[in-house]
Amino acid sequence: MFILITVGILLITALLVLSARVFLPAAGYTWLIAVVGAFLAWASVFAWINKTDRLQFLIWQPVSLFSQSPTFVIDPIAWAFALSMLTLTLSVIITSVVRSNFPSALSWVGALVLSSLGALAAVADNPVTLALIWAAIDLVDLIVQLRFVEEPTLGERVVISFASRVTGTMVLLWANVASAAQGTTLDFHALTSQASLFLPLAAALRIGVLPLHLPYPGRSALRRGFGTVLRMISAGSSLILLARIPAGSIVSPLTPYMLMLIAFAALYGGWMWLRAPDELTGRPFWLIGVGSLAVAAALRANLIGAAAWSCALILCGGVLFLSSEPNKWLTRSLWVAVFGISALPFSLTASGWSGGTGFFLAWLPLLLAQAMLVSGFIRHILRPPASREYYEDQPLWGKNIYPVGIMLLLAMIVFLGWFGWNGSFQFGNVIAGLAASALTFGLTWFAPRIRILNPVRAHWVRPANLTWLDWLYQSVWNIYRQLGRLSNIFSNILEGDSGIMWTLLFLALFISFFTQRIP
Amino acid sequence: MTTNAPALWILAPFGFGVLLLFIRNARAVSLLGGTLALLLALTAQFIPIETALRFGELSVKIDSSISILGRVLLISPAEGSLLALIYAGSSLWFFGSLAAERSTRVVPIGLMITALMVAALAVQPFLYAALFIEMAILISIPMLSSLYTTPGKGIVRFLIYQTLAMPFILLAGWLLAGVEASPGDLALAAQSASVLGLGFAFLLAIFPLYNWIPMLMEESPPFTVGFLLWILPTITIIFGAGFLDRYSWIRSSPQLISALQSAGLLMVTTGGLWAAFQRHFGRIMAYASVAETGFSILALSVDSRLGIPILFLLIPARALTLALWSLALTIIKENAETLRFSSARGMLRNTPFAATGIILATLSTGAFPLLASFPPRLALWENISRASSTSAIWMGIGIAGFLVSAVRSLAVLAMADEFASWKPRENLPQMIMLGLGMIGLFILGLFPQTAQIFLAQLPLMFEHLGR
Repeated sequence: MFILITVGILLITALLVLSARVFLPAAGYTWLIAVVGAFLAWASVFAWINKTDRLQFLIWQPVSLFSQSPTFVIDPIAWAFALSMLTLTLSVIITSVVRSNFPSALSWVGALVLSSLGALAAVADNPVTLALIWAAIDLVDLIVQLRFVEEPTLGERVVISFASRVTGTMVLLWANVASAAQGTTLDFHALTSQASLFLPLAAALRIGVLPLHLPYPGRSALRRGFGTVLRMISAGSSLILLARIPAGSIVSPLTPYMLMLIAFAALYGGWMWLRAPDELTGRPFWLIGVGSLAVAAALRANLIGAAAWSCALILCGGVLFLSSEPNKWLTRSLWVAVFGISALPFSLTASGWSGGTGFFLAWLPLLLAQAMLVSGFIRHILRPPASREYYEDQPLWGKNIYPVGIMLLLAMIVFLGWFGWNGSFQFGNVIAGLAASALTFGLTWFAPRIRILNPVRAHWVRPANLTWLDWLYQSVWNIYRQLGRLSNIFSNILEGDSGIMWTLLFLALFISFFTQRIP
Repeated sequence: MTTNAPALWILAPFGFGVLLLFIRNARAVSLLGGTLALLLALTAQFIPIETALRFGELSVKIDSSISILGRVLLISPAEGSLLALIYAGSSLWFFGSLAAERSTRVVPIGLMITALMVAALAVQPFLYAALFIEMAILISIPMLSSLYTTPGKGIVRFLIYQTLAMPFILLAGWLLAGVEASPGDLALAAQSASVLGLGFAFLLAIFPLYNWIPMLMEESPPFTVGFLLWILPTITIIFGAGFLDRYSWIRSSPQLISALQSAGLLMVTTGGLWAAFQRHFGRIMAYASVAETGFSILALSVDSRLGIPILFLLIPARALTLALWSLALTIIKENAETLRFSSARGMLRNTPFAATGIILATLSTGAFPLLASFPPRLALWENISRASSTSAIWMGIGIAGFLVSAVRSLAVLAMADEFASWKPRENLPQMIMLGLGMIGLFILGLFPQTAQIFLAQLPLMFEHLGR
């Protein structure tokens, strides 16, 4: 019931905003409707606290075929994820008053619909439900991007990104099939060891960590605002999977290798984020970097840590990407977000390094990656005001309301760190937190002094520069093309003039092969 | 008042189809044919056979059989839902033909083909089914080619392969009669099973006998071919399931299960892999149709208590996916001359509904969640994996092939020239039909139980399978 209330408010608000946009295009209260709706939905999430609400849509039939139907359940982790996503949506709509494209009713509709899907992903109770919600998010993302992207090269990136996320979804479904092969049903409450390794892999594929690629075009027209919602909710809804893996269920000899791969991805994301010329250009690397830390936490059986990194990705990233006004006090307040991702005691990510030790060799690159991410974050905060966008032509009320959106996100970073879930407000792994902070301090201090740590020019950050990755993908592409040629040759033989004879020959071969297999 | 089921669901639509051949108004043909098919579907679903119904003073009873030339056409009461499903699917195509601008060919001949295929299911002795199927194949030729052009290689090969099936089925029927007379003759049983298998291999276009399908998709109108690719394999597979139900020695043979699984996996895997490398939208749909048949054959290979419900669950998904796909291809072909990737590049901006329809239909074939084929594919995949993990991997490869194909299609359709504007060229009926088709895909994908109104009673048509 509580789930329906929140999602219902979001969808009804989206419908109202859309109706106002279509039937009353001159109406000046569309923004107000969007804000009130988003606020009510956000407030309704607080009613989820200490509740275990369960919602099942019509049961899939015949029941003999479907062991699972779409089901949603509220728990503390789902609450934290949903709160993070809805806070971001509310902040995006509030801060939209200072954007140059204000009012932008369609982007608010998109944000509201996406956040409703994000909330549903957070409360998904089984893999089939999560796969359905992921598919919906992917389709919305695809439609929005194809609608707005003008450059053909960016269209290609959109398709690659979609393909990677679909692969992630299919890996989740494969985990389901692998469980069925062992005679069990894949369930978030009890996973087989074979299936559990597929879940971090699915999440990693969806956020672009494996294989490494930029999930979002660097120069898209969808920048702040809706672009932030799109990226963060898509990533958040993928990372929720990590927090659903039962503790201790990831037992595989492949885990250390996967952890190393993830550490490598984290390092790559952190390095590129550190050197990104501005926060929006670096946003894909933020997702890869922090997402990798979340996946690594899950692989170390630290599921609370995975949830913490995921919430930090949404909230800390969100506050930085939405901050556009060169307001001195607001800029200083962003240090709260730095604290949020520092992994220091009582911060949002304090539990990020807790729990299992996992593969020790992976710790150093992961800590270094975190330091790069935090250091990059600090550098983006400290950027000179001149390089930030400044919207002088916005009304005074807009400038006054804008800080509310930013402060809301900062407040949630502190709030979730203290009261987010069972086990929040903790010291965590103090040594790891301090080590990451020391590395951050070092990087921040050295950054102006060592050239290689300085930002690169914007166009260098584009995927065109990743020659070794390009080489890898080119190799895959070449293999694909060779296989394509082979398939064409085979098709041409069967469809050519002598095709019937060839077909009968293949049929005879097939029958003889088959009869040999049968005793 | 008494009527009989074969007259209502076989003779009447066949006769109506003949009459429609003389009407030249495409809209009237589409509406009349579609409405009749829909009425037949509703009647089959809601009016029971062999049960007297009283409407005030009027009493109506539909008898189940009719005797013609010493043969019997028998539609049992349990087959009502199947008729409803077949005619509901046909009505989808007939209404869609208006948007595809193919009504005058698809509707009259389509009605006749539907009636003949229903007759193939109903005729006793079953041996004569092969003749009805052959008649359906023969009258489908005018739908595919014009009197004024030379038929392409695909049409010729379609005719050859489908016709080759007939002697095999007839021979198998004769041999099976011998097996019934002397059940201990294992050699005769093996011979009859082999001949029967070959007959169905030709009819269902089992690997490697499916090469006429992509050829046909390249040279004939996609909507017409789509209709044939729906109705022929769908009814043939039910006809084949009837054999399994009738002969316990075939049903209980482990070799048969193994053969069905191998054939199904070959079709799914090769269909998916071939689709992944195609550069022609029509050929992708052709391979999707091959894989769809493969999925149905795979469903027959699992425990029949689960396999038969999966088989029936696959039918509406296949009908809707192929209808949407072929209509979308027809519209793209109108606007891009050919269905080659090079011609249809960037069509998302000119025919957004049709391009979206193609992408969704391809994704649906690839078991993309939310779409119609997802629930049956998932159920089948789980059941296959219980039997063999290797088979599940091969099925996964086939599914992955279609997803690759969907992504490639998406890339080509979205690859517009820089700053090309959005100019939809579809007309209103096309937008409505495509829109309804896409909504249908989502409804079946999210709520598969909605199809149970037709499907719940279907397993009852078999005496042994699914029990």
